[in-house]
Amino acid sequence: MSSATTRSAEFEQLALPLLASLYNHAHWLTRNPAEAEDLVQETFTKALRAFDSFQSDTNFKAWIFRILRNTFLTTRAGIAAARTVFLEDHPDTLDTTASGPTPEEILLRLDNDATLHTALEQLQPQLREALLLCDVEEIKYKDIAVILDVPIGTVMSRISRARRTLRQLLQPQLGESL
Amino acid sequence: MNQTPQANQSTDHLGHDKLSAFIDGELAPAEKQRIEQHLSTCHECTLRVLSATQLKTATARAGQRFAPPPDALARLTAQLHSQQAPAKPLQTMKTQANLPTKTPARIFSIRPAAWAALAAAILLTVSFLGWRQLHPTNTLAAELLDQHLATLSSSATPQVISTDRHTVKPWFQGRLPFSFNLPEPAALPPDTTLKGANLTYLNGQPAALLLFTIHKHEVSVFLTQRSTSPTLTTLPNTRSGFTLHAATTPDLRIVAVSDVNPAELDNLIASLVQAQKPI
Ligand SMILES: [Zn+2]
Repeated sequence: MSSATTRSAEFEQLALPLLASLYNHAHWLTRNPAEAEDLVQETFTKALRAFDSFQSDTNFKAWIFRILRNTFLTTRAGIAAARTVFLEDHPDTLDTTASGPTPEEILLRLDNDATLHTALEQLQPQLREALLLCDVEEIKYKDIAVILDVPIGTVMSRISRARRTLRQLLQPQLGESL
Repeated sequence: MNQTPQANQSTDHLGHDKLSAFIDGELAPAEKQRIEQHLSTCHECTLRVLSATQLKTATARAGQRFAPPPDALARLTAQLHSQQAPAKPLQTMKTQANLPTKTPARIFSIRPAAWAALAAAILLTVSFLGWRQLHPTNTLAAELLDQHLATLSSSATPQVISTDRHTVKPWFQGRLPFSFNLPEPAALPPDTTLKGANLTYLNGQPAALLLFTIHKHEVSVFLTQRSTSPTLTTLPNTRSGFTLHAATTPDLRIVAVSDVNPAELDNLIASLVQAQKPI
């Protein structure tokens, strides 16, 4: 076996278990199955090409998600997304005047996935992206910061803001809790 | 992370960002400890943490939404295996130069369908085992049985001693990140009685442990949140002479452990499942 073959076998071994995650995330980014597949395909092509520069002591998942994201940003949809103005990341424009939550706010009825899907779709893309990397992909803040190319404090505030926004979006649809 | 001076006082409520970082396990040990200290005295923040955890769990589930269709999965898996030229033309993007061929052509003797099947099997395994840290099933069975045996010892007293579902259910409120219903006494199978309940942990997840008797047999029923609990499909039906039976509802995973006869255990489980259905 040539070393290139070994290397690509190693790449396959690392990438195959992430295929479903990458596709899911690509679909959230592109909002379209055909574009999601193309994005993952392009990501695999670029990632293998760059795989020689991958350090085996770094986080492969974060590395390949970063490639996925950078690839997305070069697509038409990605360029459009990057152009949208985003009120970031410092001034707190959400309503935080209420001192504490009321009991009704506390226990959200989250047994209905469709409700949450709708709310996730309504989130600003930058917030949704950070939240999905954290909650679905279980990637640590420091690695999300690498993927998104932002400071770790921005990751923290985006995730926090995403959750508050989700909560507000879910609020009108709340049933009685417990 | 960046902390304001007043955040050092344990009397202050959790800010949004801190709460978020706390449930993500992203705080330094000292800060985490300070928050835990605050939570031990602040009911309001404890509820907010539980609620945030619940939202996180639901997001994790709802966010895993788009599975690759079988043909896309086959193409992507084949691409990974060969890293030849793309198996189909790009639909929406232009590629630059194709990769140099790195593997021999033998791969094309394997039909995409075979790769799809292989990939599906791998993905199934990954989704069951990979993303959440799960203990092996037999470990879980042992843990369930241990906890059941612990309840049998004469010195064990339930944290809630009550046959009244109106006492037991509210006791868990605020202690568990999920809710459940208990059947009316009349809806329980014959000679089946609720004795009490404990808050417990299974594989590190909070669980409600309900203690029943059927005739003279003790029964432990564990309720966990379905989205965070391990898959129990391969849980052994019996262990050391005890029956372990499981059921799921959209929200809950229910496991019952007892030495009563299995059919009667199933009746109890069925009544619990029934109680979760919306009226
Ligand atoms: Zn507080």
